[in-house]
Amino acid sequence: MPEPLLRANAVTVTFGGLIALSEVDLEVAPTGITGLIGPNGAGKTTMFNVITGLQRPTGGTVHYDGHDIRRWAPQRRARAGMSRTFQRLEMFVGMSVRDNLRSAWEASVPGGVFGRQAAAGRETVEEILSRLQLHSFADRRAGELPTGICRMVELGRALCTRPRLLLLDEPSSGLDAGETARFQDLLVETTSGDGLGPAVLLVEHDVRLVMDVCQQITVLDFGRRIAAGPPAEVRKDPAVIAAYLGESAA
Amino acid sequence: MLPFIILGLSAGAAYALASIGIVLTYKTTGIFNFAYAGVAMFCAYVFWQLRDRWHLTQWLALPLLLLVVAPLLGVILESLFRLLAATTVEVQIVVSLGLLAFFTTFVTIIWGGNPRLLTSIFPSGKFSPAHDVYVTGDQAGTFLLALAMAGGLYVVLNRTRLGTATRAVVDNRDLAGLVGANANAVGQSAWIISTIFAAMAGVMLSTEEGLVTYVLPALVFFSFAPAVLGRLVNLPLAFVGAIGLGLLDSILAKYNSSGTLAKIETSIPYLALFLLLVAYGRRLTEVRSSLRATGGSRVVVHTGWRNLGWGVAAIIIAVAVVPHAFGASTIQAFAQAMAYAVVALTLVVLTGWTGQISIAQMSFAGIGAFVAAHIAGTNGGLFPLAVLVGIAVAVPVSLVIGIPSLRLSGLFLALATMAFALLMDKLVFASNSITGGLTGLNLTAAKIGPLSFASPTAQFYLCLIALSLAGLGAFWLRQGPIGRRLQMVRDSPNATVTLGASLTATKLAVFAACSAVAAIGGALLAVTQATVVPSNFSFDTSLELLLVVVVGGRSLISGAVIAGGFDLVQLLPLPAAVDKYLPLGIAFSVVAIAREPDGLGRVMVRQLSYALDVLYRRARRPASPPLRRTAPRLVRQKAANRA
Ligand SMILES: Nc1ncnc2c1ncn2[C@@H]1O[C@H](COP(=O)(O)OP(=O)(O)OP(=O)(O)O)[C@@H](O)[C@H]1O
Ligand SMILES: [Mg+2]
Repeated sequence: MPEPLLRANAVTVTFGGLIALSEVDLEVAPTGITGLIGPNGAGKTTMFNVITGLQRPTGGTVHYDGHDIRRWAPQRRARAGMSRTFQRLEMFVGMSVRDNLRSAWEASVPGGVFGRQAAAGRETVEEILSRLQLHSFADRRAGELPTGICRMVELGRALCTRPRLLLLDEPSSGLDAGETARFQDLLVETTSGDGLGPAVLLVEHDVRLVMDVCQQITVLDFGRRIAAGPPAEVRKDPAVIAAYLGESAA
Repeated sequence: MLPFIILGLSAGAAYALASIGIVLTYKTTGIFNFAYAGVAMFCAYVFWQLRDRWHLTQWLALPLLLLVVAPLLGVILESLFRLLAATTVEVQIVVSLGLLAFFTTFVTIIWGGNPRLLTSIFPSGKFSPAHDVYVTGDQAGTFLLALAMAGGLYVVLNRTRLGTATRAVVDNRDLAGLVGANANAVGQSAWIISTIFAAMAGVMLSTEEGLVTYVLPALVFFSFAPAVLGRLVNLPLAFVGAIGLGLLDSILAKYNSSGTLAKIETSIPYLALFLLLVAYGRRLTEVRSSLRATGGSRVVVHTGWRNLGWGVAAIIIAVAVVPHAFGASTIQAFAQAMAYAVVALTLVVLTGWTGQISIAQMSFAGIGAFVAAHIAGTNGGLFPLAVLVGIAVAVPVSLVIGIPSLRLSGLFLALATMAFALLMDKLVFASNSITGGLTGLNLTAAKIGPLSFASPTAQFYLCLIALSLAGLGAFWLRQGPIGRRLQMVRDSPNATVTLGASLTATKLAVFAACSAVAAIGGALLAVTQATVVPSNFSFDTSLELLLVVVVGGRSLISGAVIAGGFDLVQLLPLPAAVDKYLPLGIAFSVVAIAREPDGLGRVMVRQLSYALDVLYRRARRPASPPLRRTAPRLVRQKAANRA
């Protein structure tokens, strides 16, 4: 197995008395899709926050691309190729969809805020708008769009930074069946193919989707890692069935 | 020494009550109450009214104040701020600053601005615990009562169910809600207790210093430093800090022979506030409501060029009308209003677009103004150089303020700028050698090259050009990547950093740029005012400017122009009553529309068109659909156009 792009070792996070994560290990391969699943409150979003630098862990280390990134600010991690979406939407509600994407591109490029490489940026943004079929919403203000579209916009925004590691936090929640199917196609299309796509870490409650698209899955429960491995193994794991999947999925 | 210690203990006791009151509401509800000074002052006047005007006995007046008036006020404040729980910090600060202005102007209107004496609530005798040392009844009473109140609060928080619930809420808002500790009830008790403490502190401070509308707020601001010493959450530390501050203050007063020391002495609380913010840095606790802070972010980036048309039209009308239709003094007033608008524009960029609150923009303007007067006062040709020097002074100062505070939430920039503005008032603007004292400095013949700005018309054009350039520049930046960056910071700090942009760098750059522009605005004010006096650049003027910008519309460039335009109200032949009530109206409007970044005008237009729309449809179709389904006509039209 190749050296993982991201490796978290024994990450622990406590909030007052509450242990949100307890010595969690997690690896993300440089290509393909890794799943991170678990029941509500298991600590998945907290793990995302630790990886992207929004939450300082109480203990443990995170290595990205061989670097110990514990002391890196979130923006430095982003510039190094990390990008994420948010479970609770974090849209730039006062801007149009197109400007949401443009601002993301500008944030990821040195000097972007002073208009450097503006033409290349516009091209990237338009390309992603059409890939995600967002063109019809491009001039709408982000704050007035339904959740399903917002999830797409957040995904587009994350893609605009041309990430190496894309972290998606429940991207299909709030989507209907058709939208979910379309999202799944998109996800596979984005990551596969020429091998240039980003590695993806996916938090998702839609078990079918996870089992379909992920190559590796890590399962959390009450802040602990209870299983990790390929989907076929994980879905048979008795601990996972007891904690999360239930009998029917097995 | 002992007498000064006794004095210090009793002064510190009053600050201690105020500090505790401020910390209590912040730690339980996440609201930093800038209006605390206004509340304390209002309560002190109410007490005066009850006891000294209506001649109630003290034993009736005091319980009335502490058990009826103050709790009632606490309940009102709590319900007001509960409405704002889900808004941004920026909206919450704007509201509490609006309330501060509301209470202070309200007191002035009801009771007049004349200082009054408030006799102590304690017996007047004095006793002597040691040879040659006397303690007055007031001093002993103040200290002991404050100690008793603080002790009582300690017991409540540690020995009662209310205390347990309070700690549950403070520890974890989400969880407390789940397990049934009623966060609303806890918040309400905190506000009630806090307001009772405010009332007592107000009475105690007024006994010492008299009921003086322009002194009392400053005294209550003293208690911000101890509150920050307790990192805004630690009640005992805030108490001890306040007593220490009182002692320090009084011991320094002992050596108060020279003028400089006296000035330093009165500014120590503000200096302490600022230094504590620097020293604590990221260790300062930010109490956040668990509710998401997006409800208040209604700022929209208006793209498209139609708004530009309005701006250009306004410039053309100004050029075509003002210099020809009015007399010299009116033209000069227009020039001055436009200089104010330049400063106000910095608040639009800072507050409206970036979500940061500065209560010191007029202090930066003051830097520009006094530097201009010093350099170009005798030789007008040096004016351009003076403007540059003003910028060169203002920008480093802004970095000193911004670097420690901008890494934290918006509250701390507000506190740091407040400390800075008050320090400027006490240390810099009050220094005769810098500002020429009350009479100020002259700047009568500013020149840029061969152009002289001695005449009102020339000043008018100067300010018009400056405002136009600043406005167009801001408009242009707003459309581009920089405008988008500001909106990112405002709408979602989390998304901003995880996409690769630095929050601190962005906010710092904006703050520095805004200080520079404010300094330019100040230099223009100096030109239009001819005599630069310190009182035009005080903390109060910064606060007023912020409030009128909020009323004018803090997310709009036109909001800055409207804010400057308030300066022209004095030209209108209005009845005295309007003059008297205008500040109250402004303060009230600020509290009412703080959530609306587009200002009072837009809110009124929107409401009016909505009302007309409803009426119109009622008239045409008696069986109109239910009210809640009727969107304003414009909205529906736009939706139809899109479809
Ligand atoms: N900032 C915080 N302060 C206090 N507790 C927190 C904070 N963030 C998360 N928690 C707690 O940590 C635990 C893990 O939360 P987290 O959001 O990571 O779970 P999750 O796996 O993403 O759940 P979900 O499926 O509901 O999104 C929860 O009990 C949550 O209440
Ligand atoms: Mg989550």
